[in-house]
Amino acid sequence: MRRLETDVLVIGGGSTGTGVLRDAAMRGFRTLLVERGDLATGTTGRFHGLLHSGGRYVVKDPRAARECIHENRILRRIAADCIEDTGGLFVTTPLDDPAYADRFVAACRETGVPCEEIPVAEALRREPRLNPRISRAFVVPDAAIDSWKTVWATVRSAQEHGGEVLPYHEVLRLLVEDGAVRGAVVRDHRGGEDLEIRAAFTINAAGAWAGRIARMAGCEVEVIPGKGIMIAMNHRLVNTVVNRCEMPSDGDIIVPIRTVSVIGTTDVRVADPDRWEIEPAEVQAMLDAGENLVPGFRRARALRAWGGVRPLYQERKAADTRDVTRAHTLLDHRARDGVERFLTITGGKFCTFRRMAEETVDAMCAQLGVEARCRTAEEPLPDSEEARYYWLGARVADREATLLEDQLICECEMVPRRKLEAAIRRRRTADLDDLRRSLRLGMGPCQGGFCMYRATGILHRELGLEAPRANRALLDFLQERWKGVRPVLYGDQLRQARLDDWIFQGLLDVEHLPTARPAEVARG
Amino acid sequence: MSTSRGEGTRGRIGHRVPGRGPGPGRGRGMRDVVVIGAGVAGLAAAIRLAEAGLSVEVVAKGVGATHLAAAVVDVLGYAPGRVDSPAEALPAFVRDHPDHPYARLGPERIAEALSWFRGRVAELGYRGGLQRNLLLPSALGVPRPTALAPATMAEGDLRGGGRIVVVGFRALKDLHPRLLAENLALADVPGGRVEARAAEVALDLGAADLGAVALARRMEDPEVRKELLTELEPAVADGEAVAFPAVLGLDDAPGIWAELRGALGRPVFEVPTLPPSVPGIRLFRALRHALRRAGGRLTMGAEVVGAETGNGRVTAVLTRTGSRAVRHAARWFVLATGGVGGGGVGSDSTGAFRERVLGLPLRFLPPEGPPFLPGYLGAHPAARVGVAVDERMRPLGPDDAPALENVVAAGATIGGAEPWREKSGEGISIATGYAAAGTVLAEVG
Amino acid sequence: MDGTATIEELVRGSLDRCVKCTICETACPVAAVTPLFPGPKYAGPQLERFRTGGPSPDRSLDLCSGCGICTHVCPHGVKVAEINALARAAMKAQRGVPLRDRIVARPATSARLARPVAPLANALLAAGWFRALLERSLGIHRRAPLPPFAGRSFQAWVRRRRPRALPRAVVYFHGCSTNHFEPRLGRMTLEVLEHNGLHVAVPPQGCCGLPLQSNGLLGAARRYVRGLAARLAPYARRGYPIVATSTSCALMLKREAMEILGLEDDPDLRAVSERLYDVCEFLLLLHERGELRTDLRPVELTLPYHAPCQQRGHGIGKPALELLSLVPGLRVVESDVECCGIAGTYGVKREKYDVAMAVGEPLFRLIRDAGADAAACDSETCRWQIAHATGVPTLHPIEILHRAYGLAPPA
Repeated sequence: MRRLETDVLVIGGGSTGTGVLRDAAMRGFRTLLVERGDLATGTTGRFHGLLHSGGRYVVKDPRAARECIHENRILRRIAADCIEDTGGLFVTTPLDDPAYADRFVAACRETGVPCEEIPVAEALRREPRLNPRISRAFVVPDAAIDSWKTVWATVRSAQEHGGEVLPYHEVLRLLVEDGAVRGAVVRDHRGGEDLEIRAAFTINAAGAWAGRIARMAGCEVEVIPGKGIMIAMNHRLVNTVVNRCEMPSDGDIIVPIRTVSVIGTTDVRVADPDRWEIEPAEVQAMLDAGENLVPGFRRARALRAWGGVRPLYQERKAADTRDVTRAHTLLDHRARDGVERFLTITGGKFCTFRRMAEETVDAMCAQLGVEARCRTAEEPLPDSEEARYYWLGARVADREATLLEDQLICECEMVPRRKLEAAIRRRRTADLDDLRRSLRLGMGPCQGGFCMYRATGILHRELGLEAPRANRALLDFLQERWKGVRPVLYGDQLRQARLDDWIFQGLLDVEHLPTARPAEVARG
Repeated sequence: MSTSRGEGTRGRIGHRVPGRGPGPGRGRGMRDVVVIGAGVAGLAAAIRLAEAGLSVEVVAKGVGATHLAAAVVDVLGYAPGRVDSPAEALPAFVRDHPDHPYARLGPERIAEALSWFRGRVAELGYRGGLQRNLLLPSALGVPRPTALAPATMAEGDLRGGGRIVVVGFRALKDLHPRLLAENLALADVPGGRVEARAAEVALDLGAADLGAVALARRMEDPEVRKELLTELEPAVADGEAVAFPAVLGLDDAPGIWAELRGALGRPVFEVPTLPPSVPGIRLFRALRHALRRAGGRLTMGAEVVGAETGNGRVTAVLTRTGSRAVRHAARWFVLATGGVGGGGVGSDSTGAFRERVLGLPLRFLPPEGPPFLPGYLGAHPAARVGVAVDERMRPLGPDDAPALENVVAAGATIGGAEPWREKSGEGISIATGYAAAGTVLAEVG
Repeated sequence: MDGTATIEELVRGSLDRCVKCTICETACPVAAVTPLFPGPKYAGPQLERFRTGGPSPDRSLDLCSGCGICTHVCPHGVKVAEINALARAAMKAQRGVPLRDRIVARPATSARLARPVAPLANALLAAGWFRALLERSLGIHRRAPLPPFAGRSFQAWVRRRRPRALPRAVVYFHGCSTNHFEPRLGRMTLEVLEHNGLHVAVPPQGCCGLPLQSNGLLGAARRYVRGLAARLAPYARRGYPIVATSTSCALMLKREAMEILGLEDDPDLRAVSERLYDVCEFLLLLHERGELRTDLRPVELTLPYHAPCQQRGHGIGKPALELLSLVPGLRVVESDVECCGIAGTYGVKREKYDVAMAVGEPLFRLIRDAGADAAACDSETCRWQIAHATGVPTLHPIEILHRAYGLAPPA
């Protein structure tokens, strides 16, 4: 078995894990991260993209609110390119308790979350589709943050400091010797081989799967998977984040993120973070929730539904995961379980990832007796050096400047050919879904109907793939896409799906493509 | 301030009554037939009716699905294995699928409809028939069975194997010759192997991103064709047929195809690309021309938003002009609104399906349970939703009697089929359109 | 809110219907002649998802002529042209509207200023040196088809006229072009309607605001169209049909003002919209009720007929064709060409003129090949474009009817 050595092994390629990777690398540690899938395919890539102002928690969980607003400001500084400054609104809808609004205002003041009341007419002027029957409206500094972009920028920063990532490398077992974790054995799902990684310290940042990893070191860690589903609507019904001014509940937020608006979310405890369904009743509940915020929501087009599992750590058992703490938890296994060289960081929110990483690496440094200061809040991520927020029109402006010189491959999301080719080369991946995450390829209304043929041809050519391999890439993408579309297949999206059927099956006859046997077993 | 010279033409009408024209919601003259939908099914029905001397108006929201499909005529490609001969396979198919539109028609009527169709668009030179499917390469290089193909595509028949060079244009992102050629070489075709390779033409046409239609327009320029041939001639090997993306002109494709064929001295054929379909546009124009020749009218931008019914009959369908309804009264109505794909059948956010123009009852609704399966390429329970018809193409009510006396249906609005999987779309559209017209002709006398 | 929410859902929200089929792009006459305009699907439902109401990312949208064919052919009900119109207005609001656009958007104003010196103004407009100057200073192409000003407005002529006493009445919405450039058309229209037993009322009326709208000046367009609707609404409410010879202005009142300017809820506009007819639409409806006089004498002419984009936007088919078929001796050649290129004020602009001429070339070729002595078209700017490009006199279909009825040629 091939063997690698490193100072720090990070398990889990979501926001927390990559945050730890960056922080540790910046403090001079040789750091390697392993992730069983593509980066950010756990919880990080599956939330709605809200950069919290903290307003959501001011009444219910003031500590979380304070953390949020603190990190909100830091992320705006260091990750501006990943953030669109949409602003946020808290509105009292007819379904909400009007008394909550005053508590909200007071709690914002208490926790330091900026909050300004505006007249309802002004809110409706800014957001014409908002429910005209709202009674109050408050402006807060919510924003929309692109999680994939943030994760990949964090990784690039880490790489600049010597860090490395190994996506599609799944931990099979931890190496536990003499009461300490010495690394892990991982399987390379793409290459097919197993790999032994020796590390002086191992950090378990596997999120909702952290319990599974901790158990490999004999540590009992219970992480409750709290499933939440979301629906992306085809276009931005609102350009501001809109929250219900009420205690947190299902479907109380619409986030405009990139070209879509996302309604979410639900909160259902599941037993296994890898085995759960999107239930039709959940979808209907989200549509109803949307209708409350934006009348006519049900007539608008739903693009795709997906879910994620929140990692909710609790020492005691709890039935409703919404009451389980949202704060993050750092577990020192030396003190807790007698296992050295091993920390677990779990729970938390996307927007506090940097801080979670800071606490984790601080704790590791303390255990190792290393003095090294955290600078992750000071140094901006790549592309965010000029502290300019992301502008949604950027891709359009880029295309307008290159109309005659480049080809638009994904027209819905404006992905030009050069960008696709560069991503294929950079990632050396024959997986169209990896490219989807990097570029938003196939994430628009046609869900790949037009761009997938083109992307497959380009992939085939760039990587010199054998035709059956390229065919399999296309079929795999179509299946992945179907998973997201199926729960919301009605109305306009159904009509689109029928056209896509005519293209893929009717015109291209993909059902009868020659395909190779897949080298790896597909995960559920 | 008007001076009163004369009777105030300017501002005052005084006692005069409104000119008795139409007023809101009042109508057009009565036609024999109104056809709703301008796809292949609607146009086929309209042409047959107009040629018989009836006054026909086609009202359509927009252009039909002709522009999206390959312009071949699929009758039966997979059942579920690949079909060699539709004529031979149809009887068993119809037995196994008693709710399929073909079960209402029978092979003879299908054959008659196809033969009629070929005559109407003779300028496109359709070849083939029900006896043996052609196997034409898809843009991915899959040998795709189809019954009829226009002259510009028919020489792509892969049966018997052969050697092919697949030509791509650098500016055309909708055809990838290498992948096509490699898949072709792996293709399972009867009577011989296919050897295929790719060639790319650099042809500078002033833009890096030309769609198929733009490229087709450029190909109408003889200078461009000359340049193409200059680049291509040295690259073609002996005994190789030449496959192009379907961009060989819009208005005179048969002529351009013949010219290239002659210059290259070998078989030449088009491979259909992603929509917009250039051959599909040609087909639409040919059908529109046939309709006009026969005296029929086509009104586009006219979505049917309602219907007037009474005594089990439709008296008129309504479209809108501005805020006003326009009444289209007729003796008979042909519903050819394209099913789920065309918008004639749709569902709302609760998943409830509806026939959206006349509110006809739908059949083949998904039973209890999920309407769509987890696997994309499966036979989804909701895939065949549509209206049910009798042998005369009359939509049926819940009691299996015709729902409305003077309505016939044609095309994808009829349920019971999965044309994109079976490869049966145009066959159903043409045959049901033809048969629907036949019913009206028999009734009108 | 004045219909803003409705606009959002019905116009902008119609982008949800788009399945990217690209049918609109196959029909777009501008995309057919220049790769600098990627097409209506791109400019409309596709880019709309990237527009937030903040800074406008658009540039190539400037080449959209506003012809509306995209909406016309869309099988799914996307209001492509309307989305484009709103986005273009936002783009222009941000980049600034040039003086030229503000001028060409107000033809009535120019005409009123020029009328006292009409012969001089017309002589200047016909002088090459002046047109070159105009092109350099304002950006109006030196060869753009600009119509000569009429010496006397149609309204002035109507004031002096003794109308015929007839029991049934209609209202005539003549539009700026008839009033200031082609009063002869107005006279013929009156005579044809009176010939058919209709008293024609011509109330004072202003501009419908269409050129303001298509040049992105939405606020001014709203004021103009509301003013016009207020003038015509009282008649509409009393049940009088309102008949228009400018098919594009008619479309503005029927539909575009509501969809693009957000005036869905304006009660005057609604009332007018319900009673508004294109003149050929109206006459054909009379004919279908058996009320149109058919004492039409032969007119021996080969007559190419082009239905303007704005006429097709009415969604009523081509009533002019059916009317013309009633005239014996007339050999009508139907044009399938999408657009003549002028698109209102688009084709007079220096940077758009060549595109406009390229767009219209297939139509011009058809007319030349037909060896026609005259052509017919319902929209005034199209008539001027066609005549300019082919040298063939181009008439409104009602002028043919006028001749066929044997009504005296106007003095």
